Amino acid sequence: MAGLELKQLRKSYGKVEVIKGVDLSIEHGEFVVFVGPSGCGKSTLLRMIAGLEDITGGELVIGDRVVNAVEPRDRGIAMVFQSYALYPHMTVYDNVGFGLKLARTPKDVRDQKIREAARILQMEHLLDRKPSQLSGGQRQRVAIGRAIVRQPEVFLFDEPLSNLDAALRVDMRMEISKLHNALDATMIYVTHDQVEAMTLADKIVVLDGGVVQQVGAPIDLYQRPANLFVAGFIGSPKMNFVEVSADKVSGDTVHVSGPDVVGVPVAMPAGQVRPGDKLTLGVRPHDLVVAPSGAIVGRVGLVERLGNETIVNLELPSGASWLAVLDGDQALKRGESLALDVDPAKALLFDANGQGLTTA
Amino acid sequence: MKKRTSILGGAAAIAATFVVFVVPFIFIILMTFKDRQQSALRDFSWPTGFHLWDNVVEVVKTRNWMMITAFINSSIITVVSVTLLVIFAAMVGYVLARRKTRWNGLIEFLILAGLMVPPAVVPTIWLLQGLTLFGTLHGMILIEVAYNLPFSIILYRAFVATIPRDLDEAAIIDGARPLDVFFRVVLPLLWPVTVTNIVVQSVGIFNDFTNPLYYLPGNANATVQLTLYNFQSQFSTAYNLLFTNILLITIPPLLVFMFFNRQIVAGMTAGAVKG
Repeated sequence: MAGLELKQLRKSYGKVEVIKGVDLSIEHGEFVVFVGPSGCGKSTLLRMIAGLEDITGGELVIGDRVVNAVEPRDRGIAMVFQSYALYPHMTVYDNVGFGLKLARTPKDVRDQKIREAARILQMEHLLDRKPSQLSGGQRQRVAIGRAIVRQPEVFLFDEPLSNLDAALRVDMRMEISKLHNALDATMIYVTHDQVEAMTLADKIVVLDGGVVQQVGAPIDLYQRPANLFVAGFIGSPKMNFVEVSADKVSGDTVHVSGPDVVGVPVAMPAGQVRPGDKLTLGVRPHDLVVAPSGAIVGRVGLVERLGNETIVNLELPSGASWLAVLDGDQALKRGESLALDVDPAKALLFDANGQGLTTA
Repeated sequence: MKKRTSILGGAAAIAATFVVFVVPFIFIILMTFKDRQQSALRDFSWPTGFHLWDNVVEVVKTRNWMMITAFINSSIITVVSVTLLVIFAAMVGYVLARRKTRWNGLIEFLILAGLMVPPAVVPTIWLLQGLTLFGTLHGMILIEVAYNLPFSIILYRAFVATIPRDLDEAAIIDGARPLDVFFRVVLPLLWPVTVTNIVVQSVGIFNDFTNPLYYLPGNANATVQLTLYNFQSQFSTAYNLLFTNILLITIPPLLVFMFFNRQIVAGMTAGAVKG
């Protein structure tokens, strides 16, 4: 039974600060996913929780203990590595049981735990093999089995699925999700794959440049991103942005215009925006719909017809390029003019500092 | 035409190898079958009688069974030195490859110095006497370890770099203390280099002639290479016995070589990480 508490956690390598004061609290049993672009510090943060990297500043609390100076083995954690990191000279049985052996667990207890883990992961038939005789997915299972036998309070996953092929990744994703339900343990998962983040997480932590950009449930992050970075990072294809300024504010609707758009209504509680404010309008490609009288007009560029949807590259008058994902099959020609509209409730506005404004 | 020259070239290479490596060995074997008179001729002739057994018995019995003592001494020196070399060199190589500190440059310089600077005999003897290790087996073992350590470290350090660091970390997470990480995870994976080390160093130490000559005086301390002096002197040399002696002391290194040659293990780390 352990939650985690990160208080102003910092990490520097010499003068370079890579984690710049992270505050985060994780409840027991939560599935938390760290996402962010390469080099944003998500793996470093995970390794700090694991105890593989020293903590430069701040406090890390697991359960109710401050564990800054506690050895990894005493933190009640287990980690699954991106490269699996199986011991090549040991059989699967010994790989899974290595931690128990080091902890001097009696042989019968050890055997029972190894077989139990193997049963959960359906790999009983693999126990006598060496890692070199296993496929990628099987190695991944062994790596997870090695974590399970330790019965940790917190599971740490460092991009565990990134070496698997696409089909296997979907399977393993579901397995990890099932495992989370079955074990009732806290899990922290690092990935750069949005789909993994959106499907697995109870809570997503978006990191950039060593700073937490936003913490929240996957859907909240999608619908109400805190800033331009999160808006651009979560969701695929990427959100479209355009510089605008507020024209008029009437009740709970703001009309914005810019070089590329004229009078786009955005639903928004009154009082946040005054006419003339510099803003950024964000619209997800999926929220654009074809409307002859639409406010967003551009020339059709590349068209990808997938049958169920059509992805259109739209070139706006200023030269900016937008993506629109339209429902169904649309026979559009390159160079033709296309007008699009957006539901006022789905458009997002960001202030001059890139912070998201509360929309309806 | 081309094919013919390549066949000729191959045959020439085989013939040259035969002359350089096999002919001397045949010569040794032929000599061990001869009696003293015939062996004194030192020619490449067929033995006139079968004197192998007599020669062996005489070699072993000479100077109060010195050969047996020598074999025991040499085995102790070789086994202990090679064991220490493997463990210490692997440890140093592991730490040097894994932990980057500002002392690394100095340590690497010292290792290279150990390879390049010739050992000075008299000061070493003086030092050994000061430590009361002169003329003792353990003193000799320390000498062999010290002289051969740099080479072994360099072999290990290059190989440790090929073992993924993730394995160390996985072991640490599994609860391994530093010595557990080394002995249970890293050292077993170093087996291919360890085999190389065992073969090279044990043959070298077993066949070492000069160092035991300097640092290990006394009949009780004789090593196998020094027994060669029993049959060779300024005024008379018993060539049949000398060559029997050579044959006897060639056998153990040959066995080591044949045994470990089969153990050259490739790709021990296959399956450790992705791929």
